[in-house]
Amino acid sequence: MTDTLSFPDPTQLAVPFFVAAILAEFIWIAVKGRGGRYETRDAVTSLIMGAGSVASGLLLGFLAYGFFMLLWALTPLDLGTSVGVFILCFVLDDLRYYWVHRFGHRIRWVWASHVNHHSSQHYNLTTALRQTWTGTFTFMMIVRAPLILLGFHPAIVLLCGGLNLIYQFWIHTEAIGKMPRWFEAVMNTPSHHRVHHGRNPRYLDCNYAGVFIVWDKMFGTFVPEQDSEKVDYGLVHNLGSFNPLRVAFHEWIGIFRDVVQPGLTVRQRLSYAFGPPGYSHDGSRDTSETIKAKHLVRNPQDRGSPGFTQ
Amino acid sequence: MPLEILLILVVLGIASIAVMLHLSGRSKRARLTAESAGAAWERHFPDDQVTGVIAAQDGHAALVTTSAGVGLVWAFGADTVARHLVEVDLDDTTRGLRFRFSDFTAPSVRVALAPEERQLWRNTIQAT
Ligand SMILES: [Zn+2]
Ligand SMILES: [Zn+2]
Repeated sequence: MTDTLSFPDPTQLAVPFFVAAILAEFIWIAVKGRGGRYETRDAVTSLIMGAGSVASGLLLGFLAYGFFMLLWALTPLDLGTSVGVFILCFVLDDLRYYWVHRFGHRIRWVWASHVNHHSSQHYNLTTALRQTWTGTFTFMMIVRAPLILLGFHPAIVLLCGGLNLIYQFWIHTEAIGKMPRWFEAVMNTPSHHRVHHGRNPRYLDCNYAGVFIVWDKMFGTFVPEQDSEKVDYGLVHNLGSFNPLRVAFHEWIGIFRDVVQPGLTVRQRLSYAFGPPGYSHDGSRDTSETIKAKHLVRNPQDRGSPGFTQ
Repeated sequence: MPLEILLILVVLGIASIAVMLHLSGRSKRARLTAESAGAAWERHFPDDQVTGVIAAQDGHAALVTTSAGVGLVWAFGADTVARHLVEVDLDDTTRGLRFRFSDFTAPSVRVALAPEERQLWRNTIQAT
């Protein structure tokens, strides 16, 4: 019976709310004179990336959906559609999000898709909409397979994923400092996610959480926002173009150029595609590890402080 | 909702936010002095030692000499972007110089320079 279960895509229904919230944040900043920055071309690029991401979902979403329905046909388990199952699914799907997001920063093939979310030097509600166009090609839908095989209906899993993304919208703001202590302890917040968007050596590769920050604390990737170090938003190598096509595809083109260059071993070619971002066969580039190590050479007093404990 | 209507709404929505931002002064480009250009360089390339800065008179770009060679830092909206000048082609334009990088993420940059500035910039770039 639950084979025909379907829900509307919550991210599309949330669009009017997104627009209203962006206007409200913009007016708040204009009136208060603090709490964030807006820039015309940066915001337009973010909004176009958001629209393109929805379009890409409409065009390519059937691939992931078909894969999930195939798994659903295979599995003998069906947990049904009770409220308890839905809540459990939401929590487990958030754990799924944590790992997909962590892979997104540690495997260049997945980073090629996720990088555009980090490509703005601004951090406001439009940045939240700067989403990938190429997520399907990362094959990260595989990480959801266990949920469906365990008996969570694909429609429930997809609804939880959509709600997860909607939750993450409001945390892309500088207008909110810190939430109450208990909230900061359990939930992903503007403060935690600002850190995630930082290009400061201290803030690289941390706070991968979607909704619950507890995953980062469990898996050792949590770094709290430091009053002493303002977040510098963007990429280690910031983009010099607002062109959405360049934003969407630049890292894929980078992978292609690196993989096909002459004179490499098979292992080196694979590392350019699936190694960490910043891998190079001749050590001419920096990974987040070498960036942190070089920072500690320049600033030895930071050793052992948050973000430099490895 | 039919797809055509959704598309029109999206285009109108993005356009009206763009107009609102532009009319409220959010299109201003970053202005660089010799000092702020040096700081901007070190933000992008913390391993480099900046040894000299020539800021363009209009304040939207600067030529930076560093321990790792010459580089260009330029206004990118309200922020800056920087690149070392490797694999770069220089063209004269009516208002200054155009830098063409072999870099998919930063294809080309136009820098407005007065004629005497342009000569100084060309000399500085060629000297290295
Ligand atoms: Zn991320
Ligand atoms: Zn984000």
